[in-house]
Amino acid sequence: MASLTLDKVRKAFGPVEVLKEINLAIEDGEFLVLVGPSGCGKSTLLNLIAGLESSTGGEIRIGDRVINDVHPKDRNIAMVFQSYALYPNMTVRKNITFGLEIRGVSAQERDKAVADVAKLLQIEPLLDRKPSQLSGGQRQRVAMGRALVRDPDIFLFDEPLSNLDAKLRVDMRTEIKKLHQRLGSTIVYVTHDQIEAMTLASRIAVMKGGILQQFDTPQNIYERPNNMFVAGFIGSPSMNFVDATLIDNGGKLAVSIERDGGPITLPLFEAPESYKAYVGKKVVFGIRPEGLTHKRTGSDEPGSQYVNFDSKVEVIEPTGADTMTVIDIAGKEIVARVRPDRAPTPGESMTFSADMSQISLFDPETELRI
Amino acid sequence: MADLQTYSHDAGWKNTVLRGLLYLVLILFAAYYLFPLIVMISTSLKSLDEIREGSLISLPRVVTFDAWNYAWNEACVGVECTGIKVYFWNSVKMAIPAVLISTFLGAINGYALTKWRFKGANIVFALLLFGCFIPFQVVLLPMSQVLGKLGLASSTPGLVMVHVVYGLCFTTLFFRNYYVSIPDELVKAATIDGAGFFTIFWRIILPISTPIIVVSVIWQFTQIWNDFLFGASFASGENAPMTVALNNIVNTTTGVKQYNVDMAAALLTGLPTLLVYVLAGKYFVRGLTAGSVKG
Repeated sequence: MASLTLDKVRKAFGPVEVLKEINLAIEDGEFLVLVGPSGCGKSTLLNLIAGLESSTGGEIRIGDRVINDVHPKDRNIAMVFQSYALYPNMTVRKNITFGLEIRGVSAQERDKAVADVAKLLQIEPLLDRKPSQLSGGQRQRVAMGRALVRDPDIFLFDEPLSNLDAKLRVDMRTEIKKLHQRLGSTIVYVTHDQIEAMTLASRIAVMKGGILQQFDTPQNIYERPNNMFVAGFIGSPSMNFVDATLIDNGGKLAVSIERDGGPITLPLFEAPESYKAYVGKKVVFGIRPEGLTHKRTGSDEPGSQYVNFDSKVEVIEPTGADTMTVIDIAGKEIVARVRPDRAPTPGESMTFSADMSQISLFDPETELRI
Repeated sequence: MADLQTYSHDAGWKNTVLRGLLYLVLILFAAYYLFPLIVMISTSLKSLDEIREGSLISLPRVVTFDAWNYAWNEACVGVECTGIKVYFWNSVKMAIPAVLISTFLGAINGYALTKWRFKGANIVFALLLFGCFIPFQVVLLPMSQVLGKLGLASSTPGLVMVHVVYGLCFTTLFFRNYYVSIPDELVKAATIDGAGFFTIFWRIILPISTPIIVVSVIWQFTQIWNDFLFGASFASGENAPMTVALNNIVNTTTGVKQYNVDMAAALLTGLPTLLVYVLAGKYFVRGLTAGSVKG
C-alpha cells in the first residue's frame, strides 16, 4: 500500500492532447474515483498509472518512487478490467495464481494465497472451473481475486461493474466498499456512473475533455461544485440551472428570476465576498431538486433559510420515495423533489420552498462557480 | 377457417413439390461430382484385362487390389521402378515441416500485428496481404535463384522453405483476423501479471487458438500436398513430391497404358488431404466462423 501522486501528467496521441496537466495526489488507503463522460480521458489516465501507456509529460509517483519508466509488472499494481480479461484457457485457480507463478512464487505459497483470497471472496467452490462456466458476477469476483492475491501497492479498477445487471451492480458496489474498508488498500477506480463515484470514493476526480474539473471529497463536490459541468454531472436528477440576476434587495443580496407575471425574488441565505462583484449582473442560479420542495414549516419566519414562491405544475414523475415535480420558470423546466403525500396534480398551482442554504451561483460566461 | 385450411393445404402441396425439386437438384450435383470418383475407384479395382473388355463405367466383376499394390510398390517413375511410396514419403517430409513452420510463424505474426501494434504494423500487414495475390508463376525464377544461392536447389528443405514463404501470407491473414476478435485487455492483464511477449503467446494466446490452427493446418496441408508447380520446378528426380511422381507414372509412354495403376496412384495421392478433411473438417467450419466464438 502506498500513496499516489500525479504531477502535471500529460498525454497526447500525435497532435491530439487527451490529458492536459493532471495534478492529483492521494494518501495511502484512499479510494480515488475518476469519473466523467466517455472520452474524458479517465481510462487513459488509469492506463498511464498502470503503465500500459506511457505519458507524454509529467511525473507519476507511487510512494516516493517515480514510476514513469517502470514496466507495469514492476510497479506493484494490480488491475481489474471492464471485460474482466480472465484467461479463458485456465481454471479460476490458474487465473488467480498466474501472476504469482510468473513471479516465481513457490507452489506451496501460491496454494495458500489462492485459498485465502478464495475464502475472502467466497469463490472456493469455483476454483476448478473455467471462466466460461461462470456467471458475470462470479467472473467479477475472480477478476478481483486475481488482483487481490498479489497484495499490490495500488489497485486499479477500470469500470469493473458496467457489465453487470443493475441489481448485481449495487451488490458488488457494496462489496467493493466493504473490501476497501477491511483491507485499507489504495484504490483508483474509473467509472462513468456518478452514483458509483459518490458511494465509493473517499475523493472524486471529475474529468472532462482531458481536464481535471474538480478533485475533492464526494460531499464537497456535491455541495460546492467548481463549475456548471460538475454541478450537472454529479447528482441525479441533476441540478437545475436558471438564468437570473443578482440584485441588492434592501441591503441583502437576492437573485431575481424573470418570468411572466413578475419576477421571483429569492433572498440569499449566505452572501460570500465573491458575490459582491456580480451585483446587478447576470448569473446562473443552480439549485438541486431536493433543495426545492413543497412548502416547509417555518419557512415564513424571518431569517429562515427557506424562501417560498408559487408556480404552476407541469408534470409529475413519482419515484415512490419522492415525486419529481416539473415546473416551468422562465421557459426552463425545473425539477422539484416533493414528498408523495404533498404531491400536486399537473396544472395545479402550488407553493414551493427553495432551500437557499444549498444553492450555487455560476458565472454565465465562464460557467465557473462564483 | 375453411379458407385458411385450403390455403395451408395449397402451401403444403407447393412445399412438397419445391422440396422435391431441391433434392433433385442436389442429387444431380452430388452425382456430377461423385461420378468421376466412382469411375476411378472401380477402375482401380479391376484387372487390366477387364478394363480392355468392359466399358468404362461398369463395376468390377472381380475386385482385385493388385493395381493398388503395384502403384505403391512397383510402378515406374521415369526409369526407377520403386513405386509411388518413395515419393509419398518425400511429400510427407515436405508437407509436415512446411505446414507446421508456416502455421507457427503465421500465429506469431498475427499475434504481433494485433496485440503488440508497432509503428507501420498496418503497412506490414498490407504487404503480407498483397503476398496472397502473387501467382506461383511469378516467383518461380527469382525463387530458383535464391534456392541456388542458398544451396537448397532440388532438395526437400528447399521446397519446405518455398512453401513456408509462400504460405506465410495466408497463415498470417488467418491468425491476424482471429486475434483481432480477442480482447486486448487479456494481453494487458497478462502484462500486469508480469508475462512478456512469448510467455503471453505460449500460455494464453496459443491455447485459445485451436480453431484457427486447424483452419491454417488444413489450408496449408491441402495447398502444399497438392502443389505441383513448385514440386516440379524445385525438386526433381528422387526428391520429387508425390504429385510430380504421379504425373510421371501416368505420362510414362513405354509399354501398355495401365489405367488401373494410374487410377490407384491418383487415389493414393489424394487420400491424405481427404483424410485431413474427414478428421478435422468440423473444426474447419467452426474455425471459419470463429468470430462468433467467445472465450
